[in-house]
Amino acid sequence: MTLEGGVQYSKIAEIKGPLVVVDDVDNAAFDELVEIETSQGEKRLGKVLEVGNGKAIVQVFEGTTGLSIAGTKAKFLGKVMEMPVSKAVLGRVFDGLGRPKDGLPDPIADKFVDINGEPMNPEQREYPKDFIQTGISVIDGLMTLVRGQKLPIFSGSGMSHNLLAAQIARQASVVGKQDDFAVVFAAIGVQYSEAEYFRRSLEESGALKRSVLFLNTADDPAIERIITPRVALTVAEYLAFDLGMHVLVIMTDMTNYCEALREISAAREEVPGRKGYPGYLYTDLSTIYERAGKLRGRKGSVTQVPILSMPSDDITHPIPDLTGYITEGQIVIGRDLFRQGIYPPINILMSLSRLMKDGIGEGSTRADHSEVANQVYDAYSRAQEVRALAGIVGKSGLTEIDLKYMDVGDVFEKEFLTQAIDENRTIEETLGILWKIVSKLPKNEITKIKDKYIDQYYKEE
Amino acid sequence: MASNSSLEQAIDKILKKTEKEILLDLKNSGSDSKQTLDDSLPKLEQEYDKIISDGNKEADKIEKQIIGSSDLDVRNKKLLLLEEGVDKVFSKALDQIANTDRSGDYSNLIKTLLDEATKILGTTEVTVFTNTKDKDVVKSILSKYSGAKLSSETIDCLGGVIIKSKDGTMTFDNTIDARIERFKPLIRKEIASTFGVGN
Repeated sequence: MTLEGGVQYSKIAEIKGPLVVVDDVDNAAFDELVEIETSQGEKRLGKVLEVGNGKAIVQVFEGTTGLSIAGTKAKFLGKVMEMPVSKAVLGRVFDGLGRPKDGLPDPIADKFVDINGEPMNPEQREYPKDFIQTGISVIDGLMTLVRGQKLPIFSGSGMSHNLLAAQIARQASVVGKQDDFAVVFAAIGVQYSEAEYFRRSLEESGALKRSVLFLNTADDPAIERIITPRVALTVAEYLAFDLGMHVLVIMTDMTNYCEALREISAAREEVPGRKGYPGYLYTDLSTIYERAGKLRGRKGSVTQVPILSMPSDDITHPIPDLTGYITEGQIVIGRDLFRQGIYPPINILMSLSRLMKDGIGEGSTRADHSEVANQVYDAYSRAQEVRALAGIVGKSGLTEIDLKYMDVGDVFEKEFLTQAIDENRTIEETLGILWKIVSKLPKNEITKIKDKYIDQYYKEE
Repeated sequence: MASNSSLEQAIDKILKKTEKEILLDLKNSGSDSKQTLDDSLPKLEQEYDKIISDGNKEADKIEKQIIGSSDLDVRNKKLLLLEEGVDKVFSKALDQIANTDRSGDYSNLIKTLLDEATKILGTTEVTVFTNTKDKDVVKSILSKYSGAKLSSETIDCLGGVIIKSKDGTMTFDNTIDARIERFKPLIRKEIASTFGVGN
């Protein structure tokens, strides 16, 4: 909050796409917040992208539709964009710019925080190693999420990533600890029906109480999407590092964010990079993803699950490609499984949680977790090979052991992978099903599990 | 007669055989049913445990839903009530500001507002706009700012000034209304803290 308000300039040189160029500007600062007033008195927010030679380029969050050079005024507010934060944001629904969308007044702010956040001191970062239970077997069992991790979900258009996102938001919890847990949900450029689904889903499950929703719908100006993940992460950081909560941030769909970035870049006539995205896409994405983590000496944590839809299911597309460089693994939604009607259609062979090994085992989940998960990965991979072989030689041409692996593949998909959208499985239940799958194999095929665990959990059928 | 007795004997034999078979069948069925019952008991127990655990899960879910939505309802009602209180305090304060005595220290306030505004625009060559009540106070101070001119047009505000550069391209709003608007979130916080919220 600054003492002084800003100067209003009425000399608009140009309006180009989402940008407004203001002339004869003194003392404007990079990232400064600007209030654009139309000739009809309507006010819109924007921020300074560039200053120099007496000009300021302003990016208007709510779009420039209806603005004209004559009659438009730009008021430079002398501050960067801030988000009012307090514990009272929990249970609230905001729009993509952080304004209440639930018909309630603005929350009483504890403080106002710059939405760009403060960079985490790398030396102060603590290695993530505590388990978060999502209640979804395939995630908890085979690609475990840990507190402070950034684990993206790579999906494709029309697939069930939004159902999965809502289920994670409803069910996620910290097991066996009394620590406060919160979910910050940022919907970026989603359809109105999807936004409503997220809101209703959290409301009806009683999870809204511990959640904060930021809803930027598809009909909101694309430029607002640049702000949505940042306001969401600002709130998450406050809840985590000021109030000591463990916060899970779910952002869907990051592809829409990147497209908004491309739109601004094109309007600024920057040299395009791959597929027209700006050359700084990697740097920009890292300013979002690197806001996940844990800090030494602080109680809370920020865990991120960004969701992105891969255009044409192309995992080499710049968005999933660059995301994969920054994040710690990925969960890939498979088109084939989706077509078979399996939910959640997660392709485990393409998915991986790089921090899983540190978040599971004795004291976190169960001592046998890592070994049984490895065995199931191995068996499912073999089952896929056998299925391919059966496609050529037919089932009759398979050996007895091949048939057993095929059976393992079927049981895996029907009993472990498949889960109802309101089914919340505990980690014990998940490990129980993993052992049921392993028990379909003869003991001599089990090569990744210690004998003591086989003696304890293997149940021959 | 002989044929009759042999018929009876045959019938007896058949009856006895049938009776034996029926009894054996009954005995077998009895033991089969007992076996089936014994076998199904653990399954039944498993099924029973599953139903109970599913029921408990469902009950937990419903409990969470009910508690969650009631908590939110209560919180939302509190928020609306608080906002009503804050609004009342605000409107009362605005009334008091609007009716402030324009004599004495008030001219110092106007001077401060003018100083601040001309400093931000970087020139004293400006047109000053104010409301009817402050016109005289502003007029009396304006002689100290070379090139400054009071507009004949009045504006609708609680007090203070709006200044515009001579070419009309730069405007700075330093009215009390604009200052209150800028500080509204902080003022709301202060008022809320007097109600015991947000401490």
